[in-house]
Amino acid sequence: MKLKDLAERLGWELKTRNVPLEAEVQTGYSSDLLSDVLANSIEGDLWVTRQTHLNIVAIAVMRDLSGILLANGAEPDPDTLEKAAEKMVPIFRTTLPTFEVVGRLYQLGVTGAR
Amino acid sequence: MLELSMHILDIAQNSLAAGSTRVEIRIWENLPEDLLVIEVKDNGRGIPGEMLSRVMDPFVTSRTTRPVGLGLSLLKEAAERCEGCLEVHSEEGRGTKVVARFRLDHFDRAPLGDMGATMGILISGNPEVDFLYEHQVDGQTYGLETGEMRKILGPIGLDDPSVLRFVQQDIQTGLKKIGAATFPKIMEVLR
Repeated sequence: MKLKDLAERLGWELKTRNVPLEAEVQTGYSSDLLSDVLANSIEGDLWVTRQTHLNIVAIAVMRDLSGILLANGAEPDPDTLEKAAEKMVPIFRTTLPTFEVVGRLYQLGVTGAR
Repeated sequence: MLELSMHILDIAQNSLAAGSTRVEIRIWENLPEDLLVIEVKDNGRGIPGEMLSRVMDPFVTSRTTRPVGLGLSLLKEAAERCEGCLEVHSEEGRGTKVVARFRLDHFDRAPLGDMGATMGILISGNPEVDFLYEHQVDGQTYGLETGEMRKILGPIGLDDPSVLRFVQQDIQTGLKKIGAATFPKIMEVLR
């Protein structure tokens, strides 16, 4: 499913304006340990985390992730948003906890296949 | 804890619980050596020798050593997660010094967070205690000391709301000026 359709279906708030949301999302990864994401995420993953600082954008760029979903109502830091807009990394926010939102993503066909 | 400033607040609160009248917080960021060091030093009652060896054990500390709490074991974990370490030096009746070392540019190092808010809470909540906060980035230093502030403020107490605002702003602009709170190599990815 396209990133924008997932966001609409699951009611996420888009935090980065003017970024393309057409990417087809097939896989995802969830972790709050940045080194773990760097090691185990794959290109195109949607990353679910509750880390909010600037380094998450660096990870998304390095791993070519399709986007970042902040769980549990976490708000991105202002400099995170600024850099995400510049680097065209979509950041979303949901009030649901990670476990819930990952379950819903799985039901919509997004898996953790490596 | 997601930010180092939260760890610092926690450790400084240990110092206050130990009856300290002076708490010194120092942070060094050393870019060439890829090192970030946090030191919290107090003149509180100290930790007895037999307890000192156990303060970093989360199961022991959270139950039996009331004034210490869980903070030290969390800080130890945060430091070790990014190739750092934690040292606790203490002398009964003299005080305690906690030193945490982190690899500056490690992806799992927690960001500094809001030191303005942390110092604001500590100072305004404990106006009778002397606080020092010093932050060094490659030789450039920012510093704030409540002893000096008291002289300038005169009759205005350190718990006055205007003081809280001043502390927060001064720290935020001061840290920006010396280029604190960075991940220099990680940020190269985002150039």
